[in-house]
Amino acid sequence: MKENEPCNRSDDKGHPRIGIYTGRGTSHSWLWFAEVFDRIGFFDLAFLTETELRGDALDRCDVLAMSGGDTFAIAEGLGPEGADKVKRFITHGGVYIGSCAGAYLPLHSSKEHLNLFNFVPAKIGNLTRTLPEARGLREKFCTAYGCAYVFHPVREAVRLTTNGFAPFKKAPSLDAPLYGGPPLIAGGSAQVLATYSGFTEKTVFLVDRKLASDTLLGKAAVIRQKIGQGYLHLYGPHFEHPRFTVANQLMTDAMLYDLRLDPVQIHETIASEEIISGEACRNLLKDIKREISNARIVAVGLETLPVQWTIGNKVYETAKIREFIEPVWRRIKPLEKLNRMRLLPGQAGRLLQVASETTALLREVKRDLKSGIDTLYKAKDLFERLNRTSTLFLEIYFRTKRMGNSGIQELRD
Amino acid sequence: MEYLASNKIAIVDLATRDIMEEELDDDLVLERIGGAGITKSLYDRFADEVPIVLGTGLLTGSLVPGSSLGVITAKSPSTGRVSHVPLSLDAGMELKYSGFDYIVIKGTSEKPVYLWIHDGILDLNDAEDLWGKDVWSATDHIRDLMGDDLIQVLGIGEAGEKGSDLAQICINYWQSGDRMGFGNLFGKKRLKLIAMRGMGLLEIAEPEEFVEKCGGLLSAVKSGGAANIRGIAAMAAAFGEEDIEGWLKPLTHKHMACFNTSVPTNTFVFLDEDPALLKETTVKEPGFLLTDIAPLLALKRLGLTAADACHVLKACAKFGIDGAAVAELSEKTGLTDPEAIKGSLPNLKGPASSSGDAVFSPWAAVGNQEKDAWMRRQAVAYIFGLHPLFALMAPELNEEKLLDISSLGTELELTQETLDEVIADITG
Repeated sequence: MKENEPCNRSDDKGHPRIGIYTGRGTSHSWLWFAEVFDRIGFFDLAFLTETELRGDALDRCDVLAMSGGDTFAIAEGLGPEGADKVKRFITHGGVYIGSCAGAYLPLHSSKEHLNLFNFVPAKIGNLTRTLPEARGLREKFCTAYGCAYVFHPVREAVRLTTNGFAPFKKAPSLDAPLYGGPPLIAGGSAQVLATYSGFTEKTVFLVDRKLASDTLLGKAAVIRQKIGQGYLHLYGPHFEHPRFTVANQLMTDAMLYDLRLDPVQIHETIASEEIISGEACRNLLKDIKREISNARIVAVGLETLPVQWTIGNKVYETAKIREFIEPVWRRIKPLEKLNRMRLLPGQAGRLLQVASETTALLREVKRDLKSGIDTLYKAKDLFERLNRTSTLFLEIYFRTKRMGNSGIQELRD
Repeated sequence: MEYLASNKIAIVDLATRDIMEEELDDDLVLERIGGAGITKSLYDRFADEVPIVLGTGLLTGSLVPGSSLGVITAKSPSTGRVSHVPLSLDAGMELKYSGFDYIVIKGTSEKPVYLWIHDGILDLNDAEDLWGKDVWSATDHIRDLMGDDLIQVLGIGEAGEKGSDLAQICINYWQSGDRMGFGNLFGKKRLKLIAMRGMGLLEIAEPEEFVEKCGGLLSAVKSGGAANIRGIAAMAAAFGEEDIEGWLKPLTHKHMACFNTSVPTNTFVFLDEDPALLKETTVKEPGFLLTDIAPLLALKRLGLTAADACHVLKACAKFGIDGAAVAELSEKTGLTDPEAIKGSLPNLKGPASSSGDAVFSPWAAVGNQEKDAWMRRQAVAYIFGLHPLFALMAPELNEEKLLDISSLGTELELTQETLDEVIADITG
């Protein structure tokens, strides 16, 4: 292991091209990765669906960020082809960052679909055949796992202790939020970067405190595993959560530390890209803002209604809707100030179409809820469209931010 | 204008459907401060095009106590004078946060339209489906269409659509302070309603000091003479009007304040539900929000029971007609039967003295107040965005303090001399 080495790979290699999985099974937490990378100036992001990941998209990435969500749905969505692509990506020198569901995914499992991703010989520390008594948030307390259950002893911020070595040497301890991620029992050559060491004032106990302590404390929260030329970094807690800046820093340090020495070609210029500015840009942003504002207004109103949906193995509250909308909303103003956007042909039209459909669906869901009509199927459709809206917008946003001083001539004003 | 503003003025031409946007220039604020000071200035600029100008006070939507007021400025069909009417409840605040500081509406649309103002976007949409609906149905329709019950609606009913000089722009389902017949202007322009929703933010130049001073002002107001006034009947009594608390009490369900106003000036009465109910009612239309003292007192003088008076005012709100004018004209024609009064609404014609003889709506002219002092205080309220009744009840919010906190919030040097000039202009 490369302990006590400086984390200066960013200086050596420039900014990595990072693929963020946004496809089937993901929750809104992929947006946290986008937020953190945006903050630290890594704009070369690719948002990958399961189809793109099963294709050759990973050939153009240095890093794959796999967020939280529904592990089973992610595994099923990616399938054997996706599993092969991910494994090939890592063994050829890529860095896999898995958070929460993304951390469960590559652990050894005998379950259908999950068994395609047996990359890391670590065990899940919160697996049980006999469920303990839930003390709160029953809907988020456990997930069926074959004949057993994965149960979640706590939620929110927990205390972690790092191993003190590179790439985690900058902080001996830190807090990070746990939203169903695993305590890990490392095996083989896996390196434990951080362990669960305590609770915080924010920790919410879903089981008896002693059981929570027995289940979590002392177990690995972050492990690093080398496979071939690449690495997997598996995070039980959400180190990518934007409010936990120390965790963000460590996660980024680890990513840069294991970045391969021969990064993929980045900042490729696509001939058909266009740059719009001036009135054309203002008008497009106004159209985007109109749709996002309409959606946001309904979403806020929905938050007053006592409803939640179980989609796959995940529970979605109405507040989750804005988790997709706000990252878009916050980025409209900076683009207005820049008054310049870079995008691919048809990209804006697709965004406006999906955003408009999203608003219409939100309004339908609101009406149905007020009329007492079941909204589960519409909610499922809604979250897919929200996901698509965020993805399409962020593709344009980061494409624009990559523009920098690239010297591309404006095609129209 | 960087602080306490969205920095945007919209100019909407209903005839051409063009929507222009301008920045709110610091110089305009330095010269006219805000609220009615600027709506009057914008009115004068577009006077040839029969404009209706909406705006908010400099402090509207802030933490300054009573900062709930929006303003509509236009030429009154009732008085023929350029006048100002108040937007109370949450309408002023919503306008402030909708992303526009001022909106000029000029021209006449060929067909019915409505404005949808949200987060700095102003959409002009067809209102064929809304035209012909009463105020309540139109409010329900637009809220359902846009998917949010917090949308604030300034709308007209049949009175405005049919060109009555007594027509009122209502706020959501309720009567407003429009005693100037502005509902008629909406109708003539074929403008059915304006729907507003905004979740914007206001920047404050010196936020910590501003918040601290707002806290001080609130403490002063809360220890002042208006501290214990609760509801419309208590307020009438406080201004020296007839004590109607006993008359109204059997119907009183709760009292409601306008945005950030520490005195609840409105009272919700239950007409078809038990007023003592302490849980959510299942009755679709359980009652009515009383927002205007004068018509209530006038209907009582006609000998109506409180319930009958409230039913009449509810009918006025649905029809979109000024309740004070209805009460006055009923008295003149000797109508005292509530059903007969309701039945008279479609054919009711002025003139009525309920518009008053000032440029400000007499909505806040309660009791016997010295006219010049009342006018000046109204001007101050309409410029800074204070609730006009609350401003009368809270002398603690004096001009010096309002100028001081405005300068603190905007980083602009606003002077007493400027305020005097603006007041002279809008009251002149």
